[in-house]
Amino acid sequence: MNDHMYDELRELLKRLMAPSEAGPIEQDIRSGDRLFDVHPAPQITPETLAAIKHQITVQLGTSHRPAHSFYRYIAAAAVIAVTLIGFFGRSNRETPGVSYASLIPTAIWESEDLASDDAELAYFRSELRHIETQMQALEAGDGELVAAGSLDEVELELIRIDTQFWKE
Amino acid sequence: MGTGVELTQIIDGCKSGDAECFAQVVDLYGGRCYGYFYRLTGDRDLSDELLSELFMKLVEKIGSYKGGSFESWLFRIASNIFHDHLRGRKRQKKLVEGRRTELELRPIEAAQSDLTPDKVDRLQTQLSRLDADTRELIVLRYYSELSFKEIAEMRSEPLGTALSKLHRGLKKLRELMEG
Repeated sequence: MNDHMYDELRELLKRLMAPSEAGPIEQDIRSGDRLFDVHPAPQITPETLAAIKHQITVQLGTSHRPAHSFYRYIAAAAVIAVTLIGFFGRSNRETPGVSYASLIPTAIWESEDLASDDAELAYFRSELRHIETQMQALEAGDGELVAAGSLDEVELELIRIDTQFWKE
Repeated sequence: MGTGVELTQIIDGCKSGDAECFAQVVDLYGGRCYGYFYRLTGDRDLSDELLSELFMKLVEKIGSYKGGSFESWLFRIASNIFHDHLRGRKRQKKLVEGRRTELELRPIEAAQSDLTPDKVDRLQTQLSRLDADTRELIVLRYYSELSFKEIAEMRSEPLGTALSKLHRGLKKLRELMEG
C-alpha cells in the first residue's frame, strides 16, 4: 500500500463520514492492510515468469507473422546461401561446400500444423535442390549458372527481401 | 514501479508487438497479479495458469487499451478471468454433483480437493471465511493498488458502498485472525 492511497482514503472518509467515525475506520483499514503485509502471498516463481514471457514471444510470433512470411524466410535463407556460395566460389574454388543448415530459422520447426508443414517442407526441399545445383555448378567452374551478373541480381533480390522482411 | 512516462513508452512498445516491452509488463505486474489470483484461489498451480491466461489476454487485447489507468484496465481483465474460472468451476461442480447423485457416492468437495493444509497459510484460511464478494474487494484493493474511485467504478457500485464493505470485511478478517 502506498501513501497516496491512504491520502485518498483519508479524503474520502472526510467527505463521507463524520469526523468522529473517520479516524477509527481509517485505523481499521490500515490494520487490515497490515495483515496482508505480515502474511504475504507466495512469490511467483522465476520459472513461471520465464514460461509466460516465452508464451508471449510465441504468441507474438504467430499473431504478427502472416502465413506467407514462411516463404520469405525460406527465400531469404536461400538467397543468403546462394550469395555465400557465390562469394566463396569466387574467392576460393577449393572450398568443398557451404553449410546452409544454420540459416534455417528454428521457428519453422515449432509449428504443429502437419499438413501445412508438409507443403512447406516440399517447398524447402526444392529450394535446397536448387541451391545444391548452383553449388555443384560453381564447384565445376560453370560460369553460366552463377555468372557475375546474376550474382548482382541475387544480391539485389536479397536486399529487397531483407528490407520487406524486417518491415513486417 | 516505472513512472507514468516510462509505462506509456512500455505500453506503446507492447502495442507495436515488442516482446521485450511485454516482458517488462510481466516484471512490473506479474507479482501483484499473482498475489491477486493466489489470494482468491489459494492454489499456486491454478494461480500460475490464471496469470498466464491474463498475460496472453493482454497480448491479444493491448490494442484496445485507449489510455487511462493501466492498472485498472489490467485488473479488470484479471477479474474477468477469475470470474470465467469460477463459472467454469461451477459447471464442473454441477457435473460432479450430477454424477455423484447418479452413482450415490459420498460427498466430494471438488473445489477443495486440491487444497492441502501446507498449501494454505493462515490468512488464506480466514479469507476463505469471508463472503466471496467482500473477499474479492479486499484482495483487489490490496494487490491492484487502485484508488477507491477506480475500484467502485470497476465494480459498478457507489463509492460509499465499496468503502463500507471494505471496512466491514477487513475488520472481520482481523477479528478472525485474532480469534
